[in-house]
Amino acid sequence: MKFKTLIILTSLGVLLSAGMAKALTIDLQASRHNPALPQMGDRLSYHTVIRNDGPQTLDGLIVWISLVQVDKGKEQPVDLEDWSAHKAEAKTALMPGQVIETDWPIRLIQSGLYRVVISAATRTGEALVTSPFADFSVRQKPVVESQRVLPVAFGVPLILSLLMIKVWRKGKRRSAGGPRPIRDARSSA
Amino acid sequence: MSVPTQIARKEAGELLLNLRGLVWLSAVSLSLSAFGLLLVSDVELSLLDNAQVVYDMTSIVTALGGLLALVVGTDAVAGERERGSLIPLLLAPVARSEILVGKLGGVLIAWTVMYVLALPYLWAVGSTGQNLLDGMVVLAVLGTPVVLTFGFFGLTLGCWLSSARGALLIGLVGLILSASPLLLGPSLRQSAVGRLFDAVNPFSAAVNAFDAVIIDSQALSVQGGHVLVAYAWLVIAFWFARSGFRQLGR
Repeated sequence: MKFKTLIILTSLGVLLSAGMAKALTIDLQASRHNPALPQMGDRLSYHTVIRNDGPQTLDGLIVWISLVQVDKGKEQPVDLEDWSAHKAEAKTALMPGQVIETDWPIRLIQSGLYRVVISAATRTGEALVTSPFADFSVRQKPVVESQRVLPVAFGVPLILSLLMIKVWRKGKRRSAGGPRPIRDARSSA
Repeated sequence: MSVPTQIARKEAGELLLNLRGLVWLSAVSLSLSAFGLLLVSDVELSLLDNAQVVYDMTSIVTALGGLLALVVGTDAVAGERERGSLIPLLLAPVARSEILVGKLGGVLIAWTVMYVLALPYLWAVGSTGQNLLDGMVVLAVLGTPVVLTFGFFGLTLGCWLSSARGALLIGLVGLILSASPLLLGPSLRQSAVGRLFDAVNPFSAAVNAFDAVIIDSQALSVQGGHVLVAYAWLVIAFWFARSGFRQLGR
């Protein structure tokens, strides 16, 4: 009897949580100002609309952004430390029908194929609520430009070498000339 | 032209117009060129690494500048002594303080030459322009006291020790110890001893300020603590140099 009650209560809890999870929806859209072919250094922005469609207030809402790299052989979650200053947002309560609109700016640090997703969790809900994925690719941009580095890397030592040769030749000419004759005051007179 | 200016020009002239000095400057430029070429060949660098390479370049320049200043500072007294030109200089009817200022001016000119030499390299590797100008400024503001500190300590060691080689050797050990933050990993620097060393080390003050300004985009105006440590060491080093030079030959 007790076991039966436990099963019923657990099922109710799961159903309630699932219901709360379904009540929360996240819509993710890329900003229309985003560049069509972004490259390293560009900034992208994503807009989310988080809505509580359920009949109950959702307490302790936390929403955060996640980024994964999906290049073949380089699949990995991305540490957003350098990519975004706005990584999460918290709200004490989301009333039924209430909507939160948030912008998620990202600075593109590394080239590759990426998927961005917004996740949300509440204090009591058991299931994680996620937005659909938004995909983007970042084009490589040379970090160190060879047309700037090469002239300097070869030019400066070359200039110094030429200067060295000049100084060395001057010194050689001097030593070949021998010591300067001492002027005799009487003969010059 | 005043006596200190004449002495400083003579010291700097030995660096710029002397074959030995030019060989040194060429070696410095070749080191910086090698670093630049190494970066060009790396295709896996991310955008963040551009600030990182500017930071690396400023740190390398500071370390090489410290080495240059140490050699010039040591040579200013110990080298003159070994060449037999120190006593005639001290016997000249010129105030010792003027000779000292001239010698220290020589160290400053040597560092200025090196700084100017480093600018095209900084410009070349900082292609995205991220904090490039700030990097140049922070190198001048924090790199200068650190480099001069080593020059002044080199001069002090030259006053204290009779052998130029011995003075240079001790100075090099001090420089390597001070520049160790460039070699140590962040975990080692986070230990209690590492943090204490970082707090008092002028080289750490400089590289931490480089890190904050170039990589973390912080303003130079909030680097007061680092600036204070670096300039405090400069004052201490100047005091030692003055004290050592006053007692020279007495």
